[in-house]
Amino acid sequence: MPDNRKETLKLGFEGNVRKQSVTVPDSEPRPWDADTKLKVVGKPVPRIDGHLKVSGRAKYTFDIAVPGMLWAAVLRSPHPAARIKSIDLGAAKKQPGVKAVIAVAEPGSVLRFAGQDVAAIAADRPEQARDALDHIVVEYEQLPYVVDTEGAMRPKSAIVHSAPIKERRTEGDEPGTGGGGTLQGNVRPLPPSQRGDTAKGFKESQVVHEATYITQVQTHSALETHGLLVRWDSDSAMTVWASTQAIFSVRDEMAGIFGLRSQDVHVITDYLGGGFGAKFGASAPGSRLGFIAGELAKKAKVPVKLMCDRHEEHVCTGNRPDSRQKVKLGGRKGLLHAIEIESHGTAGVGTGAGIGRNATGIYTKCPHVLVKAHDVFTNGGPGTAMRAPGHPQGAFALELAMDELGAAMDIDPVQMRLDHDEHPVRKKQLEHGRERFGWVERRRRSADMRARKTRLRRGVGVAASIWGDFGRGRAAVATAEIHRDGTIEVKNGVQDIGGGIATVLAQIGAEVFHRPLETIRVRYGRSEFGSSVGSGGSQTTSSVTPAVRNACEKAKVELTALAAERLKVDPSKVRWDDEGTAHGGDSSITFTQLCKKIEGESIVATGTRPRTYGNAPLPLPGAPMHQIAGIQFAEVEVDTWTGEVRATEVLALHDCGRVMNELTLRSQINGGVILGTSYALMEERVLDNDLGRMLNPNLESYKILGARDVPKIDVVLTEVYTGANSTGAAGIGEPSTIPTAAAIACAVFDALGAPVRQLPITPARVLAALGKVPGKSKPSVTTLAKGTSR
Amino acid sequence: MSERTKLTRRGLFRGVGTATLVSSCVRGNGTEGPPDGAAVDDATAPAELGPDPSPLRFSLNGTPVETSVEPRTTLLEALRIDLDTTGPKVVCDRGSCSACLVIVDGLPRNSCMMLAHDVAGRDVTTVEGLAEGEELSALQAAFVKHDALQCGFCTSGMLISCTSLLRRHPKGEAMTAEHVEDAISGNLCRCGTYPHVVAAVLEAAGQRGEA
Repeated sequence: MPDNRKETLKLGFEGNVRKQSVTVPDSEPRPWDADTKLKVVGKPVPRIDGHLKVSGRAKYTFDIAVPGMLWAAVLRSPHPAARIKSIDLGAAKKQPGVKAVIAVAEPGSVLRFAGQDVAAIAADRPEQARDALDHIVVEYEQLPYVVDTEGAMRPKSAIVHSAPIKERRTEGDEPGTGGGGTLQGNVRPLPPSQRGDTAKGFKESQVVHEATYITQVQTHSALETHGLLVRWDSDSAMTVWASTQAIFSVRDEMAGIFGLRSQDVHVITDYLGGGFGAKFGASAPGSRLGFIAGELAKKAKVPVKLMCDRHEEHVCTGNRPDSRQKVKLGGRKGLLHAIEIESHGTAGVGTGAGIGRNATGIYTKCPHVLVKAHDVFTNGGPGTAMRAPGHPQGAFALELAMDELGAAMDIDPVQMRLDHDEHPVRKKQLEHGRERFGWVERRRRSADMRARKTRLRRGVGVAASIWGDFGRGRAAVATAEIHRDGTIEVKNGVQDIGGGIATVLAQIGAEVFHRPLETIRVRYGRSEFGSSVGSGGSQTTSSVTPAVRNACEKAKVELTALAAERLKVDPSKVRWDDEGTAHGGDSSITFTQLCKKIEGESIVATGTRPRTYGNAPLPLPGAPMHQIAGIQFAEVEVDTWTGEVRATEVLALHDCGRVMNELTLRSQINGGVILGTSYALMEERVLDNDLGRMLNPNLESYKILGARDVPKIDVVLTEVYTGANSTGAAGIGEPSTIPTAAAIACAVFDALGAPVRQLPITPARVLAALGKVPGKSKPSVTTLAKGTSR
Repeated sequence: MSERTKLTRRGLFRGVGTATLVSSCVRGNGTEGPPDGAAVDDATAPAELGPDPSPLRFSLNGTPVETSVEPRTTLLEALRIDLDTTGPKVVCDRGSCSACLVIVDGLPRNSCMMLAHDVAGRDVTTVEGLAEGEELSALQAAFVKHDALQCGFCTSGMLISCTSLLRRHPKGEAMTAEHVEDAISGNLCRCGTYPHVVAAVLEAAGQRGEA
């Protein structure tokens, strides 16, 4: 074990920076803290691969073609539940262009959702493979099924899983979540979280609000579908081009499936067309893509490419589970006194329908909390992690319920949150946002419009985000290499999902060596460049940037020794200027001159991120890492005649540790807000109860937000110096989408004075909330259980 | 038989029959074709194509290309599979996302919704044809500067929409965010780059004195 030393760092955030001692290994540089002034890191640097992406030259997995390659297509179950009686591949094998056919499911096996793998074909052209699927003859025995969450909870429902189900967990899942109790019917409880005693809490409450909140299934809908290209390089080695957000998970899964050593599976993801949590592993959550492509390639003895089409992407590559949350809140003396949430959600045949940490982790001053969530199994494609799994669902229900309780107690929503949240950064964001957003005036205006019963109403809402700095120790190993020609290579096998990690790594290199950005060559997206993390849990930047910085600093120590030798001074006397020129004594040597003196090819050093050091200013409850804070304010305009809701403005205030690249960071936050707005107002997977299939597996009836639907987005960065690692980076991908839908739902409540407790907030639901739909009663507004004082 | 009930564009083409298909390949006085692009002449055009691959010639990014594809092959498939031009992306493959946009005789078109043989003799420009050699167009450079892309999978379609907007926008008339949002209203992006796309186009328009 390396020796450690103590470093005193200035940690915290603007207006609240304190000295704190952290223990770092001797091999590590002094972590960047509040006093560190950086020249390249943090600046709005355009992404280094931008010119390739705008010129069509970036080759994504979908674009790769290798000589002799075949195209694969998969026959999928048309039935939500069936037993396969027989599969006849004979006729398919004789179709034009067909080179290999395999059964993926065996006779006798049970299929549990429409879209599950049955058989697969590889042919010279993609249309030949798809055509040949029609010639596979399968006899199915249809079985009872259930696709709706409520139906699956009824006592006489069809049973989806008769045996305990194995959880499929990925790096996309939030660390510290998961696990489950005994399956009863189709329902499996998730581990409850509890604080205090809610029974006592409600007894002591003066006001009780109770209602059910419903969220829909959302599909990831990354533009590049799932898929991969497998080339066997020998009997014991393969190259895999994969559309993945976790290169090393693909490598390990392929090695496992085909009995190879993981070093002999070479995975390439040079460019990736989005993932959002669904692209971990060689298999998609609901399809054994890696096995299919690898097996067909083995059989045909040529490379095979398998890319899903949009229909497959919707039905078998994962989704955000739905939820039905019974929320009960108790208020006492103007404060939130008890929170109880019982949730049931379906991840289809899969697991993971939790509802995040908002209730337990954010409003920590509420003394009594109990959250009980359940997975409900249905015959639908499996859910999987999706950008902040569970959190947007949980935030929507809790935050809207809080506003309903607050309305009954006559408490302002911002004040309500300030009163119960102990995170100093979120409190600062709330206070700053209240001013910047013009909260008070806007609230007054919405109340005025409500009172005048105007056709167009405006409303505002606010909601909070909680996430952890899940950066992982030792998972990423980076290499820095200084070449004799003065170029610097930074290598790590991380994939760039679109967040711009490659650009940030170049910035780190440029910062450490005082060299122009264009002299730093980043090698990434390939397993050969050294182990790395998956782009999940918002952990990429905080895992990889410290490893790269540490590698660069080590290489710089060697380069400094070389400079000292040339300048004939002690290494401690060498000073580097902004051009990368080394000075010592009365002489100096430029970076290029110095590099020419390198013995052999290059100076090489590796680095990793040993562990998390500090967690200023506040850890995640019950965990040792920095708690990432975020607050969003939203404004909506609602047409009370048509029921149409438009999100007009979002103010997003976020902490992501030390900012690495302000430009790409703003892009990511915009993206989180836009995804959240889309979830709030438009998206919904529709499964037909009578067919058991998805009715909108496309991009015209599965609606995602377009350019004209985007609110005006104002991003405020509240930088935090966490001391967690050598760069101080934390994540932003997930925190930025957590509160959006909640804030929009709260804004709709403010506009109408009546809550819409179901997502997406469609015109029909708005009109129902206004009591304008015959036969549908208005939702009852908060119960004054004891009728006592507010 | 296996049961496949989904309606696909390809299945629809097949159902319509090759004769109808070919007649639709031949340009009449449709509204979308150029008025006098007379490369396909009714007298000399083959009466019927397929089902086997037939020769196809058109201009791709200013260069004449020749290939041979089945009549059912879409322009998107021909570009990507037969001509290794992978800038246009496959996302929905049914005309709802605009990731496969190309410019055909000056108009932006979804290449997944056109048959390859429909561009016989016509000019097709893909994202690969927007730069002058290594020199990015002003719009492409503005996309990079404003970070109007994240994963980049919608980017080629966005660039085609916005290039077309800049070309058709009346000279001297101010370009507004609404113009840009209208132009890209059919371009779906999942990373959420829309605001930066608008900023990039406004800057590129400004360089021409239109913002």
